[in-house]
Amino acid sequence: MSGIDGSRPGDPASDLISDIDLGRVWTGVAAEVWRRHPGRLERLAGRLLRSPGLARALLTTPSLLVPWLIATVVVLAAGAVVTLSTGQPLVALLAPGVAAAGIAYSYGPGVDPAWELSCSMAISDRMVLLVRALAVFAVNAVLGLAATAFAGAGQTAAGDVTFGWLVPMTAVCALSLAVATLARSASAGAAAGMAGWAITVLSSRVASGQFTAAVTRAALVIPYLIVAAGCAAAAAYATRIPRGTPL
Amino acid sequence: MNVEITNLARRFGRNQAVAGVDLEAGPGVLGLLGPNGAGKTSLLRMMATVIPPSSGTMRLLGRDPGAHEPRREIRRRLGYLPQALGYYPGFTVVEFVEYFALLKDMPSARVPAAVAEAVERVDLGAKAKAKLRTLSGGMLRRVGIAQAIVNNPELLLLDEPTAGLDPEQRVQFRALLRDLGQHATVVVSTHLVEDVGAACTEVALMDAGRVVFRGTPADLAALGTDRDTGDAPLERGYTAALTRARSLTRAGGQS
Repeated sequence: MSGIDGSRPGDPASDLISDIDLGRVWTGVAAEVWRRHPGRLERLAGRLLRSPGLARALLTTPSLLVPWLIATVVVLAAGAVVTLSTGQPLVALLAPGVAAAGIAYSYGPGVDPAWELSCSMAISDRMVLLVRALAVFAVNAVLGLAATAFAGAGQTAAGDVTFGWLVPMTAVCALSLAVATLARSASAGAAAGMAGWAITVLSSRVASGQFTAAVTRAALVIPYLIVAAGCAAAAAYATRIPRGTPL
Repeated sequence: MNVEITNLARRFGRNQAVAGVDLEAGPGVLGLLGPNGAGKTSLLRMMATVIPPSSGTMRLLGRDPGAHEPRREIRRRLGYLPQALGYYPGFTVVEFVEYFALLKDMPSARVPAAVAEAVERVDLGAKAKAKLRTLSGGMLRRVGIAQAIVNNPELLLLDEPTAGLDPEQRVQFRALLRDLGQHATVVVSTHLVEDVGAACTEVALMDAGRVVFRGTPADLAALGTDRDTGDAPLERGYTAALTRARSLTRAGGQS
């Protein structure tokens, strides 16, 4: 009796075919057909982080999604235009609030749909949170620097930029991250960051009579750094490794 | 033993979800039965290292999940399907399974073949490139099972895996469970006693945060031979075991 391919039992060709595990062959074919090819950015992140998994988790950041990026660019561009036309440093006043919202929404229950599952993964959720928060901060910093450079038409000194809004942005982002992780609520984190920044701007204005005092007074740098360090410690505590099995 | 649990407890505020569980399990399929609120999901979440216990000791795959590096090693060899599977609606089936293969720290060269094999094992090959938002509830459950088995886990924890599956898919899934249980420890939390009868080599029945019965499905069915509550032997055994445990608790409380 001939096989469906026309070969006969006992025929070496027939024996060869029967030895082939067709299921395994199909899986190999499917693996090639379904294989996802990481983009240039993911490959670069994978090399920098030395972990393809962490790179993939980074690029799945809710905060780095296109709508959020567009919103950030629009807000900072509007701030730059206002700064150019009025002379008021609106970019410096807007950037910390925008970054705080982005950081709060970078990771956590309610934001990441697969958060529960992610908590059981070898690549720890703390690392995922850290790289996502850093990425959001870096994107905000670059966009803010670009907007500041545009508004200042090249006149802005590096020191002014750093102390003007990068330091307050660090403090506000740390506050947002700490509240988001402690309260396990992205909305609470974003609200705390933006409210904290609004209170700082308004109270600085009341104290000095200047609307821009929160980003121009050098005396505030140390308090900002203290707040940033305290909030970073609180975020580290909130995401600490559980003690595991008490004896 | 892949699972060694002694006097494990977990409290959420004033609610004692797990109240001193002792459990040992080697390769095979262990069915975790019990009524709503019995503590099955909390126990599975602790075994999945998602939440830490309030007290007690636990060793998984011969390691202490309380220490950082052993826990990472456990997680590399762990498969977990939570009760409520969150997913990214814009991901395809393959992208979702691949995402968790990478988060499990699998070597990236091995990932495509492992993903293809897992997707085929849950019979979703025809939907491999479909977006998750287009899938039915039963298909999403199978996607969840695929991500759980993608790393060929030594410890597989499945919380209500057959919820949403149609009868044909449940039969296939039970066969998959029996196959996985040949080499791995599979712990399945379920309300469906027929799943236990068909797929599990052992049963643990939980009530009020404790394990109140441990044995084979046949042992459980034997408990209910003189009962008429329930349609099937296992259901009668389930009811008998719960009734006995509750009367013992009441008697203990009164004395």
